[in-house]
Amino acid sequence: MDDLYKEIILDHYQNPNHRGKLIDGIEAGEVNMSCGDSLKISVKIEEDKIVDAKFDGGGCAISMAAVDMLLDKVIGMKLTDVKKMSGAEIEEIMGVELTPSRKKCAYLGLEVLKKIEI
Amino acid sequence: MNYKKYFPIFKKQPNLHYLDSGATALKPQVVIDKMVEYYTDYSANIHRGLYPISERATEEYELAREKVAKFINAKMEEIIFTSGTTDSINLVARAMGLKKDDEVVVEIEAHHSNFVVWQQLGKIVFEITKNTKILAITHVSNVLGQINDIKSIIEQARKINPEIVVVVDGAQAVAHMPVDVTDLDCDFYAFSGHKMYGPTGVGVLYTKAKRQLEMEPAKFGGGMIKTVSTSESTWANGPEKFEAGTPPIAEVIGLGEAIDFINEIGFEEIQKHEKELTEYLLEKIGEINWIKILGSRENKLGLVAMYSDDPKMGTSHDIADILGRDFNVCVRAGHHCAMPLHTKFGIETGTVRASLGIYNTREDIDELIKGLSKTWMIFTKK
Ligand SMILES: Cc1ncc(COP(=O)(O)O)c(C=O)c1O
Repeated sequence: MDDLYKEIILDHYQNPNHRGKLIDGIEAGEVNMSCGDSLKISVKIEEDKIVDAKFDGGGCAISMAAVDMLLDKVIGMKLTDVKKMSGAEIEEIMGVELTPSRKKCAYLGLEVLKKIEI
Repeated sequence: MNYKKYFPIFKKQPNLHYLDSGATALKPQVVIDKMVEYYTDYSANIHRGLYPISERATEEYELAREKVAKFINAKMEEIIFTSGTTDSINLVARAMGLKKDDEVVVEIEAHHSNFVVWQQLGKIVFEITKNTKILAITHVSNVLGQINDIKSIIEQARKINPEIVVVVDGAQAVAHMPVDVTDLDCDFYAFSGHKMYGPTGVGVLYTKAKRQLEMEPAKFGGGMIKTVSTSESTWANGPEKFEAGTPPIAEVIGLGEAIDFINEIGFEEIQKHEKELTEYLLEKIGEINWIKILGSRENKLGLVAMYSDDPKMGTSHDIADILGRDFNVCVRAGHHCAMPLHTKFGIETGTVRASLGIYNTREDIDELIKGLSKTWMIFTKK
């Protein structure tokens, strides 16, 4: 078993829960040029709360697993609280410690969520 | 022959499998020593001092220029020191006074350093016509590894447009094959010291003598002037006109030593060694069915970009991470500063590039292959 590419991370990467696009969601996107990750997230918000979210794009296993795991977590949360989340919390959700270059990958999803404007 | 003994990094890290010479080459002890010698024995500025250590620094600096000139079959006055290939190509664009509507023919496979500058300062096109001002070409692609037959490209271009200014990016060529700029008949030839076993921070721009006369300085300051008065200045003759300020003296001298190092081994031996390893690398990668190679296998230097088109196998970034962490195999992941090329091939998440240097052995390639097997095990959960 690899320390980084754990079963749970591979599962989220290979069989994500939240891939797709919400037809009338609010959308934001970002690219991570160092490795070619590109990500779009669409969210549906009711009374400040994220009630549904989906992501679309291509990228490394870490960035794609991270965003899928992140969306598991933030659905049901207030957008204002999501925007207060830190990178360290991503690593907590994923259950791994990341090297600086992989932090960039894993944090991409959160970066995009922070760009969502109601 | 094992050349690792000339490179001190392997004494500290005997298990380092360095397959990223395309990004930068490791440094042999002789180059490091030569630079330390400058700093410890005669670390004076050049050109201006009348005392012995400055005289020596100037001599060594100009000797390096002579070595570079011989190395690519140019004249000493045609060699301008810059900070690298990128700086060299930017210098051409500025010194030739490129204007926004000047047509520059570029290549899809170009490194960004031979692409973005033309896009920003000129007007990029993909076909040579009578209106083309500049032809910007690549000697060896840093993604495909292919040696381009630039001599015939230049001949063809001159038939269509005799006035065309030919700029060659030789960054990936100079450490691996003999280059003769006089025979190529290019106007400019750019390369970096650090990719040819020399230091970072120094590069070369070969400028055909006739073109040098057309060039205006791109930087102003000390060292590049002949006279300065309150109303006007005049410029030094020759390469100094383009080397304003204190140059990277230690680095230039180190580059001269790197050239001696290459010459001592000799291109015949370098090419034999690297060709044998390239064939081995291609053979071994060919046995892995989930990995594909970008570009042709023909006419290839030791530089191979690979990818997997199975969406469950991770991207270049994942593969390079596993190789580095678990095997100390150093490869590069991503676009290698050639995004238009990757877009053309539809590989948006990049490729894994393994590139060889004189110090590589079959064992380095075996470790790469082991790492790729492990990657497969991880992603298939075997
Ligand atoms: C083909 C090619 N051109 C240009 C460059 C840029 O070289 P430098 O970063 O030393 O300016 C590189 C190296 O990355 C290269 O491989």
